[in-house]
Amino acid sequence: MAQRLEIGLRPDLHDPAGRGLKHKARAYLGLGVERARVLRVLTLDTALEAADLEKVRTRIFTNPVTEISSFSPLAGQVLPGFHFALWVGLKPGVRDNEAATACEAMADVLGRPLKPSDAAYYSRLYLIEAPRLGRQQAELICSELLANPIIQTWRVISRQEWDPQAGVGIILPRVELRHQPTVLTLAIPSDAELLRLSAERNLFLNPADVPVIRAYFHDPAVLAQRQALGLNEPTDVELEYVSQGRSDHCNHNTFNGRFHYRDLASGQQEVVDNLFKSCIKAPTERLAAERGWVVSVLWDNAGVARLDQAHNYVITAETHNSPSNMEAYGGAITGIVGVYRDPMGTGLGSKLVAGLWGFCVGPRDYAGELKPALHPRRLLDGIIEGVRDGGNKSGIPTALGSLQFDERYLGKCLVFVGALGVMPREVAGQPSHLKKTSPGELIFMCGGRVGADGIHGVTASSAGYSENTPAGHVQIGDPYTQKKMHDFLLEARDQGLIRFITDNGGGGLSSSIGESARLSPGAEVDLAKVPLKYPGLDPWQIWVSESQERMTVAVAPADSQAFLALADKHAVEATVIGRFTGDGKLKLTHGDDLCAYVDVEFLEKGFPQWQFQALWSPPELRGLSEPVVAPPADLSGLLLDLVDSPNLCSREWISRQYDHEVQGTSLIKPFVGRGRDIPSEAAVLLPVLTGKAGLAMAQVLLTDYGDIDTYHMVTASVEEGYRRVVAVGGDPAQVGGVDNFCWPSIIHDPTDNPDGPYKAAQLVRACWGLRDACLALGIPLLSGKDSMYVDGRLKGRHGLVRRVSGPPTMMFSATAPVPDLKRVQTLEPKLPGDLVYVLGATKDELGGSSLYGLWGQTGLKVPQTGLAQSLATCAAVSQALDRGLAASVCVLSRGGLAYALARMSLASDLGLSLDLDGLAGAEGLSPMQRLFSESTGRFALTVAPGRAAELEALLAGVPFARLGQVTKERRLKAQAGGVKVLDLSIPEMRRAFTRRFGKMV
Amino acid sequence: MTVRALVLAGYGINCDFETAHALGLAGASADRVHISQLTGTALARPTARLDDYQILVFDGGFSWGDDHGAGVLLATRLANHLGDQLREFLGRGGLVMGICNGFQALVNLGLLPMLDGAWQRDVALANNDCGNFQDRWVELMVEQQSPCLFTRGLKRLALPVRHGEGKLVAQPAVLERLEAMGLVALRYAGKNGRPAGGRFPDNPNGSQNDIAGICDASGRVFGLMPHPEGYYRASQHPDWTLTREQARRRGQEPDALAPGLGQVIFQNAVAAARGEIS
Repeated sequence: MAQRLEIGLRPDLHDPAGRGLKHKARAYLGLGVERARVLRVLTLDTALEAADLEKVRTRIFTNPVTEISSFSPLAGQVLPGFHFALWVGLKPGVRDNEAATACEAMADVLGRPLKPSDAAYYSRLYLIEAPRLGRQQAELICSELLANPIIQTWRVISRQEWDPQAGVGIILPRVELRHQPTVLTLAIPSDAELLRLSAERNLFLNPADVPVIRAYFHDPAVLAQRQALGLNEPTDVELEYVSQGRSDHCNHNTFNGRFHYRDLASGQQEVVDNLFKSCIKAPTERLAAERGWVVSVLWDNAGVARLDQAHNYVITAETHNSPSNMEAYGGAITGIVGVYRDPMGTGLGSKLVAGLWGFCVGPRDYAGELKPALHPRRLLDGIIEGVRDGGNKSGIPTALGSLQFDERYLGKCLVFVGALGVMPREVAGQPSHLKKTSPGELIFMCGGRVGADGIHGVTASSAGYSENTPAGHVQIGDPYTQKKMHDFLLEARDQGLIRFITDNGGGGLSSSIGESARLSPGAEVDLAKVPLKYPGLDPWQIWVSESQERMTVAVAPADSQAFLALADKHAVEATVIGRFTGDGKLKLTHGDDLCAYVDVEFLEKGFPQWQFQALWSPPELRGLSEPVVAPPADLSGLLLDLVDSPNLCSREWISRQYDHEVQGTSLIKPFVGRGRDIPSEAAVLLPVLTGKAGLAMAQVLLTDYGDIDTYHMVTASVEEGYRRVVAVGGDPAQVGGVDNFCWPSIIHDPTDNPDGPYKAAQLVRACWGLRDACLALGIPLLSGKDSMYVDGRLKGRHGLVRRVSGPPTMMFSATAPVPDLKRVQTLEPKLPGDLVYVLGATKDELGGSSLYGLWGQTGLKVPQTGLAQSLATCAAVSQALDRGLAASVCVLSRGGLAYALARMSLASDLGLSLDLDGLAGAEGLSPMQRLFSESTGRFALTVAPGRAAELEALLAGVPFARLGQVTKERRLKAQAGGVKVLDLSIPEMRRAFTRRFGKMV
Repeated sequence: MTVRALVLAGYGINCDFETAHALGLAGASADRVHISQLTGTALARPTARLDDYQILVFDGGFSWGDDHGAGVLLATRLANHLGDQLREFLGRGGLVMGICNGFQALVNLGLLPMLDGAWQRDVALANNDCGNFQDRWVELMVEQQSPCLFTRGLKRLALPVRHGEGKLVAQPAVLERLEAMGLVALRYAGKNGRPAGGRFPDNPNGSQNDIAGICDASGRVFGLMPHPEGYYRASQHPDWTLTREQARRRGQEPDALAPGLGQVIFQNAVAAARGEIS
């Protein structure tokens, strides 16, 4: 019989979760809740006897010091005066981590395994005292604060309805598929029929691919082979496989497309055949050939570069936008936990050493008429918590991140997640970055089990958001299961047991096995051997399910026992589901039933290249111009506004919740300074504790420049990434990059996407910028991804639905080894009396600036990046760090010189006294332009007065100026032309910096 | 004498590498041992025993995902399988340290504070009052009258805390005994070195009496929420580039890999195992 165990804090103890609910009800919904208490509920659907239930209640589930618990309702003891009881639980089939560990612990304490029919379900019961709330408002608290209908269900029970004996009752979200697994044969006699099937089954097939797919299955030779085995027309398993493999997410059809580019002003025309090949692959291959430190790029799950003589590092980054947009917590935790599998599945596997995050959302205080899937405030809360739990529970330092608000992200938010790993250059006598599958090797699936969750995630992320987007692909990541698997696989790697490893991400087994089978070539898999969360899944579902925390590993038969023994040691499930073959065929069975038989190369050949019109209107043609303003003499107020603005103010509340120091590797944390609250230029870690090499990592997001010209947006981003890793001590000769493009749809449709050709031209120009900057600065692209459908259709007033396209966005991440830790430096001035220098030229470049952004303006004069000059400036800074000359190095970026000075002063808790007249390159510029221009390639640094000459000797060929000095007086003061232009105290700057989000820490 | 230290690993524990590294630098021979090597599994017998070690470290992490209370399922598992070995280990004067999740496990096992020598759950580490996980550096004052061997010679130090459940809670009578017996080893302090008085963020979690770490009456069992291995090395401290610059002005170049103040705790553990302090 099922029992409901309720657990709560003792009534006399403060309940932080209850207080959080009370606070959010007021702040987010304007609803008054006077008191709130939260109960944990564990519904046990087991055959346990009363004595055993009592044993697990007391020994596992109740802390005698702080908690009370009962198999009867606790409401009367915890909050007798409650007005509503709000119960929130997971829907059937949603990953329930607490229930899984509860079952594990019960079996251990009882000393026997639970029965297969035994189950547990975890939920929460919120009791609220809110005399003025009606049922509708209580429902609102559930739907807007506590639960997301995509994964959760809830019940609102008023005081009057409450049964003190039964409480919320027994709710059992069992999955009952009651379905006999079957394989369907789907005849495709015509293109129209295949397109109809595609629409019916959500396959999202591209119409241009349809004839190719049909031609393959109807090829007489193919047909003869299939018929010999009893197959004829394609099965559902095969069509789902094709759909996964041909999706834009897996196949990068956009970046591999053919662009017909035309500049509408000059008439210049150009055919760009394949952005990936021309702008990413070719430059990276060229640079990799010249640079011995580039170890493995462009083919594996992540890129590999040299850290030191004995170790390589691994990096990748991706986005998890569509799921996060609908279920923020689940999408984000699945995103961060998912990206961690990429370095685990790179080469023979790497140890995870860092996570990175970047969130782009609508304004947190958005009060407009559009109704996004989740309000940005709630969305952001969920994303932050998802990355927190995913990162912290993985035991990987969340080293760095960024947050960007823009109303255009209301359509679809962006959730960037990045991961870095390290591996010894050799494991078990083999180079660690190489791997291959060979005939005869066993295919193991390790980690989690397969359920109906996460089906069609890949195809859904290749489409814009609408109310009809299937929600089945939203999942809850399970970092605990994955952490165990990570530890297991590293030990297996070091014992030489792994021949090949890759993760199960988008597309599930269809992708991991489909791709790895091309190497051997060939594979046979029995889908009936795949461990399932519950029975009743069709073979096609098992094949494409994206259930999380799974890796696919090739193991030689002779190593199989050792591999299984290690899996047992680490409490990880590992199952042989098939073997690699050499016949070039992918053969899938379900028990005795053959359900797929295709050539492993089928998805790679014969498909038509996608075609795009790309029409470029230069900014002048679009009518962009500089805003006309008459600034006051004293610009202090402008700087305070900037420091307070949503995109430049403190983000401390986010990174404080992220463990950025676990593994003991920290050298530069996400924050620096005496108050530990100013974002650092880049993070630096010591990834190998026994080594001596640091690893610097930085992120750049300069979306606003793209509104003028995406070419300059990207060159500025790459250059800034380069400059940031150099600023903290990275070796300028070993900088690697990762590009993450997030773009609105560029597919032209006269009514649905009329400006598609312009967005396509923006993409072409962005890629040209990436190519030029990487080649000029010598940055190979170690990894990169694209997400091409950042669009949403949002309801507004009067039933109107509007398409909201995200701005063209490219997150650039840069990495560089720090060969000697004495080079590591932070941005804050250290000692009063030190001299302040600005390196690089300051020009009339306020277009897309943060200052213009304050006024809702774009402007025209976007920063144009001098790549060769930046190379020289960065070389000089690197030398200054080598010689211990630079006592601080600050990167000038968003907000220009003024914002950099504010950060330096805030971080050091020291003042600055400066004269802006000598600023290099700034002849004829107004004080406002000098302070707020965002010209790239610039640093501010400080130096001991006695070593100024030595520094200046390094600066031949670098525009620079000595502006003044660091002062004990805690004020930021600057003058220009003999007139005071800035005079601010540190406390007033810090108030502005923390006013908006400071209380959320 | 070689001091052998066992650092727990597996099941979501995640500070085993750096904790073993810090113990190694302190002179111990440290092994990361998977919990299942101690308990055995359904298929395999145990391959490690506490008998072989002088120091046992419950290091930080999210054992069993911290579901059902931080450190709870780890404590349940060890109580179930390792109770006798643990009793023997303590009986022959073994040293036990619990850091963060390990401290949570020790109080749930009842190894701390062991007021009457009996294992019982007398204190709890509850959710932070601020409602969030917090990674931040805190100032700590070291109680000089405490019998704790691990904090010997320290007066003040800064360490990072990284937890969501670190608020020490106990009944008033238990708290009184903890104080009377001098079992409070570490308290959260302000910049002036005096107890934080419950004020956030100096006291990051709302711990009663600002308690950050406690020991048993023998001083050989010690648990703390802050991470000493988070400051085993000078360059983990948030101000290390400042102190380095100050040294440079004096003509010195400090080693970024030099020990941090947290390392003293591991050095003390090794010294205590060698019988050099007691």
